[in-house]
Amino acid sequence: MLTKRQNLMETIRGGNPDRFVNQYEFLDIIMEAPLRSRPQRGQTITNEWGITLSWPEDQLGPFPVHDEAHLAIKDITQWREVIQCPTVEFPDERWAPAIEHANAVDRADKFVTVFFASGTFEMTHFLLGMENAMMNLYEEPELMHELIAYLTDYELRYAEQIIERIKPDALFHHDDWGSQIASLMSPQMFEEFFLEPYKKAYGFWKNNGVELIVHHSDSYAANLVPHMIEMGIDIWQGVMTTNNTPDLIKQYGGKLSFMGELDSGPLDIKNWDAKMIEEHVERACRSCGKHYFIPCLTQGLNFSSFPGVYEATSAAIDRMSKKMF
Amino acid sequence: MSKIEEVKANVEIGKPKIVPGLVQEALEEGTAAMDILQVMVDAMRVVGDKFSAGEIFVPEMLIAAKAMSKGVEVLKPHLAGEASTSLGTCVIGTVQGDLHDIGKNLVAMMVESAGFDVVDLGVDVPADKFIEAAKTNANVKLVACSGLLTTTMPAMENTVAAIRASGLNGVKVMVGGAPVTEEFAAQIGADAYALDAGSAAVKAKQLVSAA
Repeated sequence: MLTKRQNLMETIRGGNPDRFVNQYEFLDIIMEAPLRSRPQRGQTITNEWGITLSWPEDQLGPFPVHDEAHLAIKDITQWREVIQCPTVEFPDERWAPAIEHANAVDRADKFVTVFFASGTFEMTHFLLGMENAMMNLYEEPELMHELIAYLTDYELRYAEQIIERIKPDALFHHDDWGSQIASLMSPQMFEEFFLEPYKKAYGFWKNNGVELIVHHSDSYAANLVPHMIEMGIDIWQGVMTTNNTPDLIKQYGGKLSFMGELDSGPLDIKNWDAKMIEEHVERACRSCGKHYFIPCLTQGLNFSSFPGVYEATSAAIDRMSKKMF
Repeated sequence: MSKIEEVKANVEIGKPKIVPGLVQEALEEGTAAMDILQVMVDAMRVVGDKFSAGEIFVPEMLIAAKAMSKGVEVLKPHLAGEASTSLGTCVIGTVQGDLHDIGKNLVAMMVESAGFDVVDLGVDVPADKFIEAAKTNANVKLVACSGLLTTTMPAMENTVAAIRASGLNGVKVMVGGAPVTEEFAAQIGADAYALDAGSAAVKAKQLVSAA
């Protein structure tokens, strides 16, 4: 039986996988690595960037607060004066748990994986608010280019630190580029503002030992796939059913692989249904096939919002492997 | 191209710095303020249709709305004496427990562009706040509820039920958001469902016309 890592590589290279890659099994994500503060359930915090994030008690995750009082950057023309950029220098004791975890991973079986969030596009609207971030692409393009370059530079400086210490061989990078039914901007605008910065960032990670770039965007983003390929993404995680994933696999399989097709929205719910999960997994696996496809809940990271859903999904994927391999 | 056609074209392509001057020129040429307003409304209808069709995206919609907003600022003194141009008031908010706002904001913008006055309650809005706003604001014709999360669909259902039970006869209810479907909207007793901001504005006008 192939190791998880081997099976993943066979899957994304169009080789001979011996089973479906089961969700995130091939990634050992080093969550202990210092990055940025995040609120706990029920909390509201202001993080190192000056972004206020609130996680209501009965909700699935945190969300930025963008009323006038809490916008981190109210006026893009002042961004240099007001931006708060966190340090990428952490003391050894902050790194120690991450290094210990990474050293314990069997790299023959799994990829030691960095989790990086929030990505550059998300950061622009977390800092500015969505409407201002979007309108500034038209009204203040030069300043937006500057801000994006600044955010990319932060990522590279962080990358240097973590690469030195844990020597990752995969990157799981979070940046939502769309809603469920559309990309948030046109491919042309995305190319103008974000393609080159992302090529620079992903190129840096790959030139420094990272073999696999897994980009998270649980959204529609089919129209951005050519740009994903150009910037060096190997796997798009979060691909929703709205993207017509089987068609994307036909068109782009071999250049990009697709991890998702199990929309978390209808499956990861309070009164979840194992039979429904089974049906969705079967449909996904049969329609997407054995190559360039990894069945996975579209939510980022290897857990579900409601207990048991992730595990039930994994079990259903294992059963499909027995049926189809 | 006539001046009024230039106004329409520049709202559609989102030129907030050009539209105010064009509106002023159209007024000076003798074009009625209401006619200028109508072409801007028509322009935003085109914008909404293009957004729904996937031809344009959020930045284009936002900048077009800003262009219209700048044009309306120039028109306002000239509309003061006219009969009310408003189609009514729309109360809008994201339902309780949900903090997502961009979808709601886009709908608010498009509904306003279509000719409604909009009272935006923000996010995480309890049912009684929707009801209070509908009762205390003038000429409320429509309540629009947004929700992005499956976990907040019960709150949407409760909100619609509460509105129905509150005695707000004649007020229509429209719902939307990622997990919402036409079937769910019908099931919870909403009057309409909208897939996106463009179609929300169209539906809003249809609901008010039918009333």
